[in-house]
Formats: sequence, structure tokens, C-alpha cells
Amino acid sequence: MPVPYNGSVARVNFGPLSAARVRRWLRNGRFDLIHIHEPITPSISLLALLAAEQPVVATFHTATPRSRSMRLASDVLRAAIEKIDAGVAVSESARNVVVQHLGRDAVVIPNGIRFDDFARRPIAGSPRSSERSRLVFIGRLDEPRKGLEVLLAAVPQIRQARPNLEVIAAGQGSRPLPSWCRSLGTIDDEAKIALLGSADIYVAPHLARESFGIVLLEAMASGVQIVASNLPSFVDLLGAPQDDRRLGEVFPVGDHRALSRAVLQVLQHPNPLRATRARQAARSYDWSRVGRNVLAVYRAALSTAPTGRMGSGLG
Amino acid sequence: MSTLEILAVMIIVVVLLIWRISWLANRVHRATARAERAWSALDAALVGRAQRAAELVMRPGIDPATALLVRDAAAAALVPDLCRGERERAESDLSHLLDTVDPMIPANSSELASERARASICRRLHNDAVATALSLRRRYTVRILRLAGRTTEPRPFEMAESICTLTAGPPDSPPSSPACVAPAVYPAGPRAPAVGEAGQPS
Repeated sequence: MPVPYNGSVARVNFGPLSAARVRRWLRNGRFDLIHIHEPITPSISLLALLAAEQPVVATFHTATPRSRSMRLASDVLRAAIEKIDAGVAVSESARNVVVQHLGRDAVVIPNGIRFDDFARRPIAGSPRSSERSRLVFIGRLDEPRKGLEVLLAAVPQIRQARPNLEVIAAGQGSRPLPSWCRSLGTIDDEAKIALLGSADIYVAPHLARESFGIVLLEAMASGVQIVASNLPSFVDLLGAPQDDRRLGEVFPVGDHRALSRAVLQVLQHPNPLRATRARQAARSYDWSRVGRNVLAVYRAALSTAPTGRMGSGLG
Repeated sequence: MSTLEILAVMIIVVVLLIWRISWLANRVHRATARAERAWSALDAALVGRAQRAAELVMRPGIDPATALLVRDAAAAALVPDLCRGERERAESDLSHLLDTVDPMIPANSSELASERARASICRRLHNDAVATALSLRRRYTVRILRLAGRTTEPRPFEMAESICTLTAGPPDSPPSSPACVAPAVYPAGPRAPAVGEAGQPS
């Protein structure tokens, strides 16, 4: 059944049949540890948490406090949350939600990127006004919170000053697009790497509820210039708008005039040094480092869980 | 209602109450036990950190003064049977010192970094387990019926640590600058229950 959640629609399996299936699967699997994502949304995740007899690591992604499932009306849900041996949050804002609304805490481990794949290209150079500059948007085209609307409203103003601006949107969904905007549809990782590598500017005009900007990080690794809305998770990554050492331009959420000003600013004064620093910052989100911390959490969870099978299978 | 019916209803109510209380007792027991195991894990991680630090500065090429300072701080943290407050202070001192000397230990500092990350993770999980246990133990029903038994109340472990060891710091702060030292404050401390926890009926 489709359930609207956090501004997008998720297909949900939730019911006695799924519960029995999850329980059986967990029994038969003889797992040492289970890692559940978004454990308290009504989904397979919650069913797994309720059924789990082994140590549980849970990752919290959402930075939205206002979802119905998070209201801890029932003691059963509270008891389920107590079963989590180790919580992981993908960002500080996601952790805040865990602390304030679940009364638990979580280790902040960001999502990882394959840094080397994205960092193959040289840093985006300085486009001159005669050349084409390429602006890229990546995200679902038909989902309002991804903010494509804001970008489309901003582009005409940018194109007055820069008629050669090329706008490329890549992502699921379809919607009518103006003639100057090219849509690539859904793209795979290789295409994404190539697209970001060829771009001058990556724009993240998201409107809300983005707990962690994975594409933003990939763009940072690619060495493109970055313009993003001032969502807390983006500001966490890029630095405050007044900060001299910020890694990208930040504009107020939903403000298409500010967006066009920011893009023009970046086009007129490209800053390869900033892009280099952004790439350096993205390096610490490489899976090699992120994975080490995830393994440390697994070890800690195994050693605090009742069975006490410390470090089994984790070298 | 006949006497028999009243009796039946009473029996059902009592059975439900007992079932609910034993469920709660089980949760209290589980949470307390986890907090204890989390302490063992944290203890081991802290010992590992101190030992690794002391070991690293013995390698050639390290400035003797730095080596002496780190060895002293590590030894202070490794003294057996420290009381909680002394231990917290010694471990915090070691954290501060490691922040300061980190750039001076070029070789194998990634080993130390992973020990520090492990200690940091274990501490957060420990304090989380303690907070969960305490919020259960402070429930009215638990206190009145003494569901926690004679188990000792767990306590959070407060110490300074560098957040740089675990996550990337803010992009503009150079590594191991004082800005990287996280405050030793635990956000969801047991004295300040999280939102929605306070008026919790038990």
C-alpha cells in the first residue's frame, strides 16, 4: 500500500503476514547482528525491530520531527526503541530528532560516497562568458520538495545575462520542461559521474526535509561549483553564507531570485580554490572512512548486546 | 453482578496487571544490563586508547617532551580503580593532550585515530544506554514496586573528546584546532529527560 511520508510516497508492507514472514526470515537467517534503516516507520523495518532477537543497529535518516509514526504514544513502540543496541544518525540534524523525539542518542556517521569515482575529473575551470556553461540538477523531477520548480523560475533571469547557459535535469519522473532545459531521465552511477564531471555548476534547490545531501557530496567530490538552498543539512556541509571559507553558495529556501543571483555570482566569479576545498572536504565521506566507523559501531553493538558475541565475524 | 462474575473480572484485572508489571520489569532489567555491558565496552575502549597512545609515542622520531607528556597522561588514565570522577578527569586530560599533540605524531596516527573513534562511539552508546535505563528506572511504577531490585543505578560517563576523530569537522576549521574539541556535555542527559518523556504515564 502506498503511504505518503516525509513528502514522498513509499510503498509499505505492514501487516500480520509481513510480520510472520520477517520473523521467520530473521529466525532462519541466524544473523549475528541486524542493521535496520528507519526502524520506527511502519514498514518492514519496524517489523524487523519488533521481531529481532539479535543485536540491533539502527540508522536514522530523517531530519523531520513531524511524522506521525514518531509520536511515541504507545508503550509498545517505546519498548521497541529500547531494543536498539546502537543508533546511527546520518547527520547532526537527524541525530537531534532522535534525541528530542525518541529520547535516545545516536552516533553520527554520514552516508558514504565513492570519492575516487567522482574525483577523477579536474576541478571545474573558469567558464568565460562566450563559452557555454552547464548547470546541473539531479533529483526527482516531479517531486516538489526537490525544488526543480525554484530552479526553473530562476533560470530565465540568469539566461538574460548568460544566454549560453545550458540546463540539464536528471532524475526520475516526468513533467513539462521549458525548451532550454534538457532532461536525461533516470541516470545510473556512471552517467551521474560523467554528468557532474562535465558540469560547471550543481544546483541543489531542495525545499525541505533533506537530512543528508548525498548528491551534494558527490558534486563536491566532482569539483563543480555549488549553489544550494539553506537547508540545515546543506549548511552543515557547505558552511554558513557569511563564512569566507564556505564551500558553496547558499540561498534562502524557495527564493528563486536569490538563486539566480547566486548562480550569476558563481558564473561571473568562478572560484576553483573553493571547489578544491569542497573536494577535500568530501574526501572524508569516502566509504573507506565511513565504513570503518560503521564497523566500530557493529563491534560496540555486539559487545553490548545480551549474547555478548564480541566481534564475531568482524575480524 | 454475581460474586462469581466480580471475582472473574478481578482475576482478569490482576492477571493483566501482573503481566504488564513483569513486562516493565523485564525492560528495566534489560536496559540496566545493557548499560553495564556498555560500560565494560567503554572501559575497554578507553584502556585501548590510552595504551595505543602510550605505545605510539615510544616510537623513534617523536619529540621526547611530547612523548613524556602523553605517557604521563596515559598512565594517569590507566591507574586501576579510579573513582568515576577521577577517571573522567584523567580521560578528558588525555583527550585534550592528544588533540594538541596529534599533528606531532605523524606515523601511525590513523591507528590512534581509530582508537579514539572507537572510544567516542562506545561512550555515546554507553551514555545512551544509561539514559534509557535511567528513564525506565525513574518511572513511578518502577520506583514504587522496586522493579529495579538492588542493581546499582548506572551513571553517564562525561569526558572531553574531539569530534574530529569521528566525523568530518566543519569544513572551515583546520584539524585539531580548539574548535574541534566537543563540549563534554551529553545532550540527552539523564537529569533532563527528552521531550515527551517527562509526563510519561507508566
